[in-house]
Amino acid sequence: MKIVRVMALLSSLAILAYGCQKDPLKDMTNEESRIYITDHDSTIQFNSFHTFSISDSAALIENGRVSKQLNAADAAYIQAVKDQMQARGYVLVSKNDNPDLGLTVNRIISTSTGVISLGSYWDYYDSYWDPYYWGYPGYGYYLPYSYAVYQIREGAVSVDMVDLKDATKNQKLDVIWTGLIRGSDIYNASVAPSQVKALFDQSTYIQTN
Amino acid sequence: MKKILIGLFGLLTAGFSAQSQDSRMSLNLNYNYSFPVSNFKSDLVSHASPRGFTGNVMYRFNPLISAGLDFGYQDYYQKYPRQVYNYGQTQQISAVVSNSIQTIPVMARLEVQPFSNTMTSIRPYASVAAGVNFISNNQYLGEFSNASNSAGFIAQGGLGLKIPFVKSNNLGADIGGTYNYAPYNKFGYKDLSNLNVHAGLYFNIE
Repeated sequence: MKIVRVMALLSSLAILAYGCQKDPLKDMTNEESRIYITDHDSTIQFNSFHTFSISDSAALIENGRVSKQLNAADAAYIQAVKDQMQARGYVLVSKNDNPDLGLTVNRIISTSTGVISLGSYWDYYDSYWDPYYWGYPGYGYYLPYSYAVYQIREGAVSVDMVDLKDATKNQKLDVIWTGLIRGSDIYNASVAPSQVKALFDQSTYIQTN
Repeated sequence: MKKILIGLFGLLTAGFSAQSQDSRMSLNLNYNYSFPVSNFKSDLVSHASPRGFTGNVMYRFNPLISAGLDFGYQDYYQKYPRQVYNYGQTQQISAVVSNSIQTIPVMARLEVQPFSNTMTSIRPYASVAAGVNFISNNQYLGEFSNASNSAGFIAQGGLGLKIPFVKSNNLGADIGGTYNYAPYNKFGYKDLSNLNVHAGLYFNIE
């Protein structure tokens, strides 16, 4: 009986201890849940570019299938990117006016396995944004980096910047900067400006001068 | 929570206090408050942890020396303000980093009560212990966790007092402190060493 009593005591303590464990996810606001990842081509001088154009819709990449859409959140993200680029001295032009830079907004969602292979995201980038869209049919994208450090389980918003100015010389469309937003409640028009600002704030090299 | 604590106290006090003075086996259960020190404090969690317990089952070889098994549980947690971290030459990550670490040490323990033959009822003791530290380390970047479970070496030294509630010395209070030396070689971290204070009950079980 004493052994049973001791075991009961220890079991109770174990339950008590587990119940007392602090759960980080319950101690986190939506803002705190978000992470912002940026990467760039270190050989690029961002002040050598002066004009930009941005896609008029967002690419929705869901379980490997792509569609273009423009809901309120997409429009807010596109506008926020415009605002941040202009705040850093870049001039918005039509994509038909030979912009130096092309920017895209993408929503990446996985609802099947809970895991997105970002490798396949990059592999099929041509199908999401046909180089023809930028006026460079037949060209391929060059992507020198990945987000392989993290496993993506839910979804993300990404903003990508393409070098159009040097496309003819390089014979490819270099993605020279990319930003990724992950976390709770990011598909929301009201938070789009602050999310995009966070990406640009940690990319201080994006300046015309 | 209150009901559980009351239940625990009931279990502790009902049935253990009427044992003979010759009992050689004892159980000790303590609430434990832990302070990270060294690299644990500077690199992972600087906040003290009020969420833990320790315990041991000891066999008394003679009035001076006891040996047995020591165990415990401690939950450490700290959330750091948002900060931009550089990865490599070109990547930046902005995140609120939360470190959540749970340790479960299981050790062989030796306890010496140098004044057990004196007339005083309060018995100071010194203890040493060594064994395995089971570690669960969850580092969150935002809401995204990077979990790692591992086991490492742990060694402990401690001092304390045993204060009997009854003349037979079969039930009493235990208060004291310990230092845990706990190397931890993961993700560039060096140790999970900590200082602890505890308070609890001991009682003979055989």
